[in-house]
Formats: sequence, structure tokens, C-alpha cells
Amino acid sequence: MIKILIVDDEKAICDLIDLNLTASGYHCQTVQNGLDAIDMIEKESFDLILLDIMLPGADGYDVMEYIRPLKIPVIFITAKHEVRDRVKGLKLGADDYLVKPFDVVELVARVEAVLRRYNKADRELTAGDVVVDVEARRVVKGGNPVVLTNKEFGLLVLFMQNKNVALFRETLYEKVWEDEYISDSRTLDLHVQRLRKKLGWEQSLVAVYKVGYRLEVPQ
Amino acid sequence: MKFSSKLLLCTMIVMAIALGLSGFYFVNSVFETSLEREAGQALDENSILCFAFETAALNVPAKYDVLQDSTVEQVASNLERSGQSTGRMIRLSDEEKQPLFASDGFETDDELLAQIDAVTRAYRTIYLNGHYYIQTGSTVNALDRVLYLETLRDVSVVFDERALGFRVYRQITLAMLVLGMAIMHLISFLLTRPIRLLTRATRQMAAGDYSSRARKVSNDELGQLTLDFNHMAGALEENINKLEDEIQAKEDFVGAFAHELKTPLTAIIGYADMLRSRKLDEEKSLLSANYIYTEGKRLEAMSIRLLEIMVTRHGQAHFQEVQAQALFQYVQDMFRTNESMRFTYSCERALVWAESNLIITVLINLLDNACKASEPGSVIEVSGQVCEEGYLFRVRDHGIGIPKEELEKITKAFYMVDKSRAREQSGAGLGLALCTEILNLHHSSLSIESAPGEGTCISFMLPGRDGAADEKNGSGLSAHREGSEEE
Repeated sequence: MIKILIVDDEKAICDLIDLNLTASGYHCQTVQNGLDAIDMIEKESFDLILLDIMLPGADGYDVMEYIRPLKIPVIFITAKHEVRDRVKGLKLGADDYLVKPFDVVELVARVEAVLRRYNKADRELTAGDVVVDVEARRVVKGGNPVVLTNKEFGLLVLFMQNKNVALFRETLYEKVWEDEYISDSRTLDLHVQRLRKKLGWEQSLVAVYKVGYRLEVPQ
Repeated sequence: MKFSSKLLLCTMIVMAIALGLSGFYFVNSVFETSLEREAGQALDENSILCFAFETAALNVPAKYDVLQDSTVEQVASNLERSGQSTGRMIRLSDEEKQPLFASDGFETDDELLAQIDAVTRAYRTIYLNGHYYIQTGSTVNALDRVLYLETLRDVSVVFDERALGFRVYRQITLAMLVLGMAIMHLISFLLTRPIRLLTRATRQMAAGDYSSRARKVSNDELGQLTLDFNHMAGALEENINKLEDEIQAKEDFVGAFAHELKTPLTAIIGYADMLRSRKLDEEKSLLSANYIYTEGKRLEAMSIRLLEIMVTRHGQAHFQEVQAQALFQYVQDMFRTNESMRFTYSCERALVWAESNLIITVLINLLDNACKASEPGSVIEVSGQVCEEGYLFRVRDHGIGIPKEELEKITKAFYMVDKSRAREQSGAGLGLALCTEILNLHHSSLSIESAPGEGTCISFMLPGRDGAADEKNGSGLSAHREGSEEE
């Protein structure tokens, strides 16, 4: 199981990230102080560290200096959005940069991306008898390959990354089509219906009233 | 053109004119003296020749007691010969002023001859065949004849000397000018040094180096200018530093504000998103809702505080005489419900000049901070006393205290010594910033003494009114009010 350390001086933010990443199947630990974070990194090994910059004790840059030799991937999470702050973080060796306030879906996606880069994430996402190889863009259901279009594949990956999470139409459309969502567009619904049919997910991929869709998988 | 070059040029022009004129007058006066002397000698010579001629004419045997023209010529040629070694030339003319005898080369006009009469001797200076001569003329009475004798005396030497004098003087002048130029160049270079130093300092300042100063190298007006310039630069630097500090403070404020705003927003948005998109169990939904609530409260507290600061900063306070004890009474009533702390109040009666609502806000903030810093049950002392300068308010707690290095920063907006602790007590980090603003309005400031682990004492001074002292003396003794608390 992938272990993630969350360092943020706000308990609320720590818990928020913790809840969401735990739901996505990661094992999370939280700490609210830079010095404690260093202690924990010393004691245990982590696969990824989410690091705030303004921390009591030792700030994020100090902690980063400490992490760098350990080659643990780091995502900075901070309210500082100025370019020079971002550049400083990235130059210090951070793998990605997330500016508050952030979207939970975006957080999960970035975590996955970084882990994939380090070959720590499973290349394969599984839900029931459906297995998706993200790198190879291959979908297998019960041993038989399924042919999906580009958009359908994008939707599938999003659903599988956010199991049991209601994904809003806007979010889905913006992530997959990379365009502004038009409220009465039926495009998305058509694609979801085709995806359901191809994977036999008439029961699992449920429509959430006035919201969007949710992939329900027994946990 | 450079100022030093101008100085140099002007000095050179004045020097050249002065040297030239003085040289000209000097050489010329020497020349004129010499010429006069030569003229005198020429006239003397003329007299001698007249005498010699008259003597010779008397000695010539005369046939008819009349001096013949031929005799005159003979005598004249004798006279000429006697003076040939000196280059002297003579001419003799008869009564009608027609030449009887003339030396070779005596080829002048008759202008001088016309001026001569029985009683007048005349002379002039003429230029003839490349030589300067002094021509003299006088009448000669020999026997019964009246003749005119003119001489030419070669004075080229005098003119040559004048030319030589001019030439030598010109060379000396040129040499002096060259030498003077070198010296003046050095002098003007030295004189304009303060200007160059000033220019350099000005340029450096223009380029953004406000700490650059010109070195003072003279005690004259330029030295004074340098001093004044440095003084101005100092004032300017101070102002610019102040402005930069203000800008920095503003940037810090905006940065801190953005941070303080984004953090609760992130939590609120994140938890709300979770609530709407996930099926959460009851515990988790409660947790999420609670976070949304507390973070929302935090935003509210922050916005109220910020608004208060803005209003204080831009608003007009209505100052009036306020009974100090009334302020304490108000605060005491306010904190009566707080049963976890033990408050002690002691105040002297006095009138202070203040806006009472604002001062109450300050006191409430200070007490609030004291409560947050203290363990439940510890003592918080609130006191007010009359001093020479005014009325001193003091709030002392026995809480965690403030580390020395943090003391300067705690009045900054959004600054919290212990963030996680302040968060738990829903602090926004704006209380002391607000207090500072209010006290600025009262021309006062917070003074903070603190030691970690021992507690903090925050005090501020308000100016008393003239009547305040009387009031206190009239009452005889200061009223002590011990606000004791139910434990």
C-alpha cells in the first residue's frame, strides 16, 4: 500500500486531504509541524509527501532540503501562488505544485500522476472485473479487451480514480474535453451511456440526480 | 564645454591680454625714450654742424663778401665727409629752399624744410630706403646768406631694438602662457573636484544607490553645497527607505491576508465538495460540517477584525473625557461570564482623553489574548494608575509568554506566535494589529514585556486631562476595586 505523509499546519486541511486520499486507497499520515515531519520522515519511509510551505518549526523549504537526498517525491501545497515561489519550490526538487484553494479531484489526479512518474502507482486500475492499464491505454473486462474511444477512456480513468465519488458534469466535461461545460450539452451523457453499454456497467455507473455520475464499487 | 575648461580658457585670455598689453607698453616706452634721446643728439649734431659751417664759411676767402653757391657746396661736402663714418647725411638749401648740396641718398621730401624759419628748428622721424632716420632742420647764417641745413641721423638701431624687444617679449609671453596653462589646468582641476564628486554622487543616486554620498574636499561654498547635498540625500534616503518599508509592509500584509483567506477557503470548499460528492458515514459528515462551520467562523472573525482596522484607520474618533474606572467597569462586566480565569482589577480614578469604545476594544483584546495565553484558573491582573505623563493601563498574565525574538512581530497583522494554538482558539492574528491602530489614533503605543513561561505584561499610556489630577486629589484616595471571581 502506498504511504503518503501530509504536512500542513492546518488540521482542517490535513484531515481533508487525508479523507480523500484514504478514500482513493492510499494510506495517509498527517503532521502539523515541520520538525515533527522531519522526525517522521526519519523514522518511516513514505512514497509521497504533500508539503505545505508555511509551517511552524521548520518551513517547507527546510523540510524539502531534508527530503531531497531521500528521493521521495514531493508535492507542495501552499497558498503562495506567485511564480517565484513556485519556481523556488520546483527548483528545490518538488515534483508538482498545488495552490490553495485546490480541487479535491485535481489533488487526487496530481498525486496519481506523480506516483506514476515514480512507477509507484499501479499502472493498472481495477474495478470489479474491469482492469485498465493507464500507460498502455488498454481496457480488459473479464479477460476480454474492450475497445474504447479517447473520450470514453478518459471518462473511465476519471471514474476509476474516484470510486464512489459523485463526479459533477462540469468536472467530467472540463477534465476530459478540456473545454468549458455548456449546461444543456448531451455529449457527456451520450458518452457515459456508451461506456456503460461497453463495460456492462448499467448498475455500477449510476446517475446522481442534478449532479452527474458515480462509479459505485463495493468496498 | 567643461567648467574647468571654461575656467582655464578665461584665465588664459585674461593672462594673454594682460601680458600683451603690459609688454607692448613697456617695450614702447623704452623705445620712445631712446628715440627722444636720439632726436636730442641729432639736434645737437645739427647745432654743431651749423656752427662748423658758419666757422668754415667765415674762413673761406670771399671775393665779393658774398658766399658763393660753390663755396657752400665745398664746405658742405667737407662737412659730410667728416661725418661719413657715422652714416650722417646733410643737405643745404638756399633762401628759396632749393637744394644747394645733398649727400647721396638724401632723398626726402620738403615737408620739414617748409616748417623751418629763422627761429624754428624742426625734426621728424622718417623711413627711407630700408632705414629709419631722424631728420633735423635749422637755419644757418653765414655772412649775409641765410641757408637751411638738414641732417639725417640713422636711428634704425632703435627701431631694431624695439622689434627685438617685441620678439623677445612675445616669446616670453608664449612661454608664460604655456606654463600658466599647465598651472591653471591643475588649479581648475582641483577647484572643480567637489563638483565632480557631487556629480558622481548624483548619478549614483539617480541610478538607485541612495546610500551614496559626496566626499567634502573643500571648506568653501562648494564644500557647503556638498554638505547640503549630503543632507538632502540623507533625508531622501530616509524617506525612500520609509516608503520601501511601507510597501514591504503592505506586501507582507497582502501575502499574509491571501494566506489567511485561502486556508479556510480551501477547507470549506474541500469539505463541502466531499459532502456533496461522497457517500460519507455519519461521523465523517459531522466532521466535515464542523470544519466548514469553524473555518467559516474564522473567516467571519477575520473579516470583522479587518473591517474594524479599516474603520479605525480611516475613521474619525470622537475624543472626550472618559472616567477611567468606567472603562474598567465595562470590561469587568464583559468578562464576568468567563469563569475559567481569575481576574483582578485595580484602578485609580482619573479622567482620560479618549474615544471610550475604541479603548474598550483594546482592553477586551488584551484580556482576550491574556486568557488565550493562560492556563485555566491562572490570574490575570488588570490595573490602571495615574502617572506623570498620563494614565497607564496594564494587563498582566501568567501564561506561556512570548519569546524575545517574536516580540517585534506580534503587532503585525496575521502574525501568530503559536499558530496551531491560536487556531484552536479561533484567533485571526489581527487583535494586536487592531490595538496598535487604535492607539496610534490616541498617539500612544503598546509596550510589551514578556518572558517565555512566566507571562506577559502589556501596557499603554493615555494622556490625562488637566482636571484629572484634581479629580484624583479631590477624591482623597484612589478607589480600589477588587474584582474577585467565582471559582
